[in-house]
Amino acid sequence: MKIGAIALNTFKEAIRDRILYLLLFFAVVCIVFSRILALLTVGDRVKIIKDVGLSSLSLFGALMAILMGVGLVYKEIDKRTIHSLLVKPIHRYQFLLGKYFGLVLTLLVMLLAMSLIYLAVIFLHTFKIEWTMFIAIFFIFLELCLITSVALLFSCFSTPILSSLFSLAFYLIGHFSWGLETLIKKVKPGAGKTLAQLLYHFVPDLENFNFKMEIVQNLPIPAKIYLFSTLYGIFYTAFILALALLVFRKRDFI
Amino acid sequence: MIAARKKSRVDKDFSTIFLAFFLILSCGVFMALKAETDSILRKKIPGSSIIYIPSGKYLKFVTFGYPSILADIIYVWAIQYYSDYNIPDRFKYLDHIFSIIFELDPHYLDPYDIGALIASYEANDLNLALKILDKGLENNPDQWFFPYTAGHYIQMKKKSQKLAQEYYKKTMEVKGAPDIVRRLYANSLYKAMDYQRALQAWLEIYQTATDDRIKKIASNHLYRAKATIDTQNIKEAVEKFKGKFGRNPMDLSQLVKAGFLSSLPKDLDGKDYLYDPKSGEVKAPTIPWKR
Repeated sequence: MKIGAIALNTFKEAIRDRILYLLLFFAVVCIVFSRILALLTVGDRVKIIKDVGLSSLSLFGALMAILMGVGLVYKEIDKRTIHSLLVKPIHRYQFLLGKYFGLVLTLLVMLLAMSLIYLAVIFLHTFKIEWTMFIAIFFIFLELCLITSVALLFSCFSTPILSSLFSLAFYLIGHFSWGLETLIKKVKPGAGKTLAQLLYHFVPDLENFNFKMEIVQNLPIPAKIYLFSTLYGIFYTAFILALALLVFRKRDFI
Repeated sequence: MIAARKKSRVDKDFSTIFLAFFLILSCGVFMALKAETDSILRKKIPGSSIIYIPSGKYLKFVTFGYPSILADIIYVWAIQYYSDYNIPDRFKYLDHIFSIIFELDPHYLDPYDIGALIASYEANDLNLALKILDKGLENNPDQWFFPYTAGHYIQMKKKSQKLAQEYYKKTMEVKGAPDIVRRLYANSLYKAMDYQRALQAWLEIYQTATDDRIKKIASNHLYRAKATIDTQNIKEAVEKFKGKFGRNPMDLSQLVKAGFLSSLPKDLDGKDYLYDPKSGEVKAPTIPWKR
């Protein structure tokens, strides 16, 4: 109940943020621009529109999550509003989870808005609603949930600028961590290889949420991967949130 | 009051232990899930994003002054990409990918070499290999290695001695080119059946050689070139003789007497050429490499 109230307030606060609308504007520009880009290509124009559109959803969604997430807790500490909140019978975990779910709700609304525009652009070309796109969009949302938790974690102990950089680094590492696999193949068996394997399994693999290519190309996707990728997203997010809570509990505000 | 504080501390300790336990558990679960997702084969179209990479000319503007690092990254990626034998059509964008690297860092020499190697031996596209090596020389005119490799590929793959000659000639014009190129050039002249020029080239190598081994090699090639020219002339004279008298000459001196040869040529060592009156065959008395 308390989490819900905080989440709702966070949502109300977030939707008044100008950054959100600026990013939304650029995302829409990119989605519409994909139509112009498609004119320059030879062959399947709709593929370009789908690719650019989904990438815009993912990229601008991540920027929204990072830029808004890093200020979630920091702003409360900086403006000292946290003092008036924590004296109330609210547990710190309730405060943190409330903030988190508030931003997740904001992102969900924004993602749905962008998706509607995106699907409308596709509809103008194909005259059919591409429902399969929602699979890719769902996993983009899962990715955004994870990124939000990371931004929240950094927001608990760092300044917004540093938190943005750290979260952005997390995003990039998450999308390039597959490169470690190549490294593991080249490293001789031993401590180095074991360490690389451990690191490979520990670092986030955001490619687990990347179904854009398969969906656009209509490639068969094993059903099992939906389940495991979803669970992976949930557990990784839970892990980061628990970490954030551990850090937040240690902070002394008085 | 004290009891309440004690209870609060116990609660806090308990929740800390619970959180730590949850952290370890969730970490273990997501690592296991990562292994599980990796085990599921996802159908991919490797390199499908390549078509979106713009030309290096335009890409250069968005590298913010770091084009060479981007060239390094694309080069390293390209090596991994072209080592993957599971991508049957990986050579489709070979030209495009390496062109990007050349545009980003025109003086990065390895990509020209490796790009040409992949094009020639893996993609079996000699023209593309030559295009890459030409670009390498155009961007790095002080590098003899590019035309030299081109000449080598042509001799290996196309067997076109004339084209190989052109590349070896280009190599010779670059300062610092090794001496072997002059020999390869002379050899390609011989293989292209341009014996007079081959003779001249080998003579020049012989006269300028400072090393005994090179002198010996040049001498053998000179012997072969001269013997080929001489035996060709003798054979022509034999044919003319046969045309006039209806038979082969009994010995080669008859060719001089009949006016088909001004004088009887001798090999480089001053020995007579071997002649078989029955078949009309003319041969050098020595095998060049056994002199």
